[in-house]
Amino acid sequence: MKIDYDTGDFYDEMYHPDGTARPHYARLAETLSALGEEDFHKKREAVELAFLQQGITFTVYGNEESTEKIFPFDLVPRIIPASEWSHLEEGLIQRMTALNLFLHDVYHEQKIIKDGIVPIEIIKSGKHFREEMVGFEPPKGIYIHICGTDLIRDHNGEYLVLEDNGRCPSGVSYMIENRRAMKKAFPQLFPASGVQSVSNYPDKLHKALQYIGPQTGAARIAVLTPGIYNSAYFEHCFLARQMGAEIVQGQDLVVKSDDCVYMKTTVGLKKVDVLYRRIDDDYIDPEVFNKESMLGVPGLMRAYRAGNVSLANAVGTGIADDKVTYCFVPDMIKYYLDQDPILPNVETFLPYREADMKYVQENMENLVVKAANEAGGYGMLIGPAAAKEEVAKFREMVKKNPRDFIAQPPISLSRHPTYGDEGLDGRHVDLRPYIIQSDKIRVVPGGLTRVALRKGSLVVNSSQGGGSKDTWVLNNDQ
Amino acid sequence: MLCRVADSLFWMSRYIERAENTVRLVDVMHQTILESEHSNEDVGYAHWEPILLTLGEKDSYDALYPKRTSFNVTEFLTFNERNPSSVFSCITSARENARTVRDQISTEMWETLNKLYLFVKRADSQMICSESDFDFFGKIKEFAHLFRGILESTFPQDLGYEFVVCGREIERAAKTCQILDTKRFTSGSTSEPDDAIDAVQFAAMLRSCTGFEAFHHEHGSDLDTVPVRQFLLLSQKFPRSALFCIRRLQTAMHAISNCPITLFSNEPERLTGRLVSRLNYALAVDVESESGDSLIDDIENELENIAIAFSRQYMQAEIYDPTVETSQNQRQG
Repeated sequence: MKIDYDTGDFYDEMYHPDGTARPHYARLAETLSALGEEDFHKKREAVELAFLQQGITFTVYGNEESTEKIFPFDLVPRIIPASEWSHLEEGLIQRMTALNLFLHDVYHEQKIIKDGIVPIEIIKSGKHFREEMVGFEPPKGIYIHICGTDLIRDHNGEYLVLEDNGRCPSGVSYMIENRRAMKKAFPQLFPASGVQSVSNYPDKLHKALQYIGPQTGAARIAVLTPGIYNSAYFEHCFLARQMGAEIVQGQDLVVKSDDCVYMKTTVGLKKVDVLYRRIDDDYIDPEVFNKESMLGVPGLMRAYRAGNVSLANAVGTGIADDKVTYCFVPDMIKYYLDQDPILPNVETFLPYREADMKYVQENMENLVVKAANEAGGYGMLIGPAAAKEEVAKFREMVKKNPRDFIAQPPISLSRHPTYGDEGLDGRHVDLRPYIIQSDKIRVVPGGLTRVALRKGSLVVNSSQGGGSKDTWVLNNDQ
Repeated sequence: MLCRVADSLFWMSRYIERAENTVRLVDVMHQTILESEHSNEDVGYAHWEPILLTLGEKDSYDALYPKRTSFNVTEFLTFNERNPSSVFSCITSARENARTVRDQISTEMWETLNKLYLFVKRADSQMICSESDFDFFGKIKEFAHLFRGILESTFPQDLGYEFVVCGREIERAAKTCQILDTKRFTSGSTSEPDDAIDAVQFAAMLRSCTGFEAFHHEHGSDLDTVPVRQFLLLSQKFPRSALFCIRRLQTAMHAISNCPITLFSNEPERLTGRLVSRLNYALAVDVESESGDSLIDDIENELENIAIAFSRQYMQAEIYDPTVETSQNQRQG
C-alpha cells in the first residue's frame, strides 16, 4: 500500500513532521507499505461483517427508531512504547488514589473543604452529590472500582487528562474485541517482542467484585443492566458471560424485609452479594432517587446501607467525575498525596467564578464549552466551528447556569493514520485506559483508542461518528 | 435460573419453531398452487384462506390489506412487521429473546440466529413474494435445523435446555393441530368431496409437517382423513405428531422439577400428563369425523392452558421466598 501521508499541523502519533516513522511505529510502517490496498480493504470488510454477525453493536438514539450499529473499527493500530506507558500508568494510579480519597473525604469529614481547597458550592450544587452516602463506609472503603479516564495529547505530544469517568464507564468490551479482531485480520503486524495482553480484563474485574463480597464463601455476583435497549447491552452481557456472573435487570431483583437483595429464579429467591451495576445512581432505586425509574430495584439503597449488598461503583461517585470538580483534581493530588500531578489537566475555565465568566463570555467563539454533567459528547459547543446563533445560545445558557458549564481552549488532539476512502489519512484520536481498584489499583495495559472518523472532527464519541482502534502497549520501546 | 431467563429461553425457542412452521406452510402452499388452478388472483387467494383461518389471522390480514391476493398473503405471512406472527416478526422476537439471554446461550447459537435475522431483513421481499422463491424458504428451514443442531451440540443440557425444549414442543404440537385444521376449513368451503383434491391437500398437510415420507412408512399410501389424523395426532414415533411432542414436553417438564414422570408436582405437569394419557390410549374411532374435530380442539385448548400454567409456575411465580419460610418456621417452632 502506498503511503502518501501528510501529518499537517498536528502532533502525529505515527510520523515525525518530516515523514519518517517514529521508532515504535517503524515496523508497522514497513509492514503496511508492503501490504496491498485491495488486501487491506478486504480485511476491513471481513472484520465489519464479523462484528455485525456477532452482534457487537451499540444503539444510536435520536432517529424515530433507534438503530443498531457496529462501532466502526480502524485496522491501523495505535502503539504506545513501554516507557511512555509506565508514565501514564503512574499518573493514572496517582489520580485514582486521590479521587478515592476525595470521595471518602466529601462524604465524611470534608477536610478538603474546611481547608479551603475545594469550595463548598461545588459540592452543594453538584448534581451527583448524594446526601444518602454521607457518613456511609462503602465495603473496603472503595468508591470507584472501575474508572475510564480519557486522555488526549496536545501539540507537543504531552498527555493531558480530559475527563474521568468514575460512574459507569463503557467501552471495555470493544477494547477486548478489537484485539481479537486485529489478531485474526493481521497476525503479521504484531511485533515479535509481543504486545501486552488485555484479554484478562474480565478476570481482573471478577476479582475486584469478589474483593468487596462477603468474607466467607464465594460471592454471588450479578451484572445489573438497564436491558437490551441500552446502548451498551452487548458489553454488559459480554462481561457477565466472561465472568460467569448472572446478568440481571431491575425486574429480576427484589429487596425483602430482611434488607437483602434477592434474584427471582425458577426455584425461588436467591441472595445476591455483589452488583456490578451499569445503571446510573438516578435510576438505581426509585424509593430514594428518581421515582419514575422502572430500571432500578426498590429498596436497593436500604440493602446497600445495611451492608447486605456491595455495589460497584459505589453510589455518589459522580461528584468526583463532574467536569467542574475535575478542575480541582490537581489540587487534590497535592492536598492528599503531597505530590505534583504526573498527568496535567487541560486548562479549564469555570464560569461560576466571576473572572472566568467574563473571559468565557468574551471569548466563547474561541472556546470549547461543555455541560458539566453530560457524557457522550452531548451538550457541547465547539466555538471555532459553531454557527453564530449556536454560540449566542450557549452564551445565554452559561449566563443562566454558570455551575453547569466549563470552558476549555480547543486542544488540537493528536492525529493518527486511519484508513479511509482515500487510503491512509490523519484523524484525531484520544485514549481511554481502564483502571480497576481492589486490593490495589491496576491499569489495563492499553485501552480504547477512539478516533474521530470525520475529517477534521474533534469528537470521538461513538454516538457522534467516532470509531475505535486497537491499542498496543509494547513490551519495550521499539 | 432467573425467571426472566427461563421465560426468554422458552420464547426464543417457541418463536423459532413458529417461524419455521409458518415458512413450511407458505412454502408448501406455493408448491401446491403451482399444480392447481391459479389463473387469477381470486382463485389464488382461495387457496390461502384456510391457512389464514386456521392461524386465526384472517381479520388481521383484512385489516392490513385492502386486496385479497396470493402475493399479499405471502407478504403478510412472511415479511409484514405489523403481523406479529409473520416469519420476520417471529425471527425478530426470537432474536430479541436471545439477546436478553445472550450471556446464557452459546456464541454459535446467538450468531446463527443473528445471521438468520440479517438474512431475512435484507431479503428482497417483493421478488420473493411474486416469484415463489423456494431457495429463500429453504434457507430459513435450514437455519432452523442448523440452530437446533447447534443447540444440541453446544448448549449444556441442564435446566435452560429443558425450557428450550418445552417452548419448542408446545409450539410444534400446536402447529401440527393447526395444520390439520386447514383441512377442516377447506372441506367446509367445498360442497362435494373430490378424491383427487383431497389427496393433494393431505399431501400438502403432511409436507407442511415434514411427514410425507414418514406417513407412508406407517400407513402406506392410504391418504385419508383417519390415517392422516392418526399419524399427525397419535403417532408414537413421528417427531411432529401431537402425542410425540407432548410426551417430549412432559419429559422436559419433569426434568425441570425432578419429579418422577408417573407422578406430578405442579399444575402444568398434571395437565400435560392428562393430555398424554388421553392421546396415548386413543383409538382410530376417536379421530373420526366430529369426535376427531373436537379432539383437535381440545388439544389446542389444553396446550394453551399448559403454557399458561407453566408460565405461572416458573416465570412469574408465587415463588419460594426464603424470608417468608424463616418466619413461618419460627412460628411453627
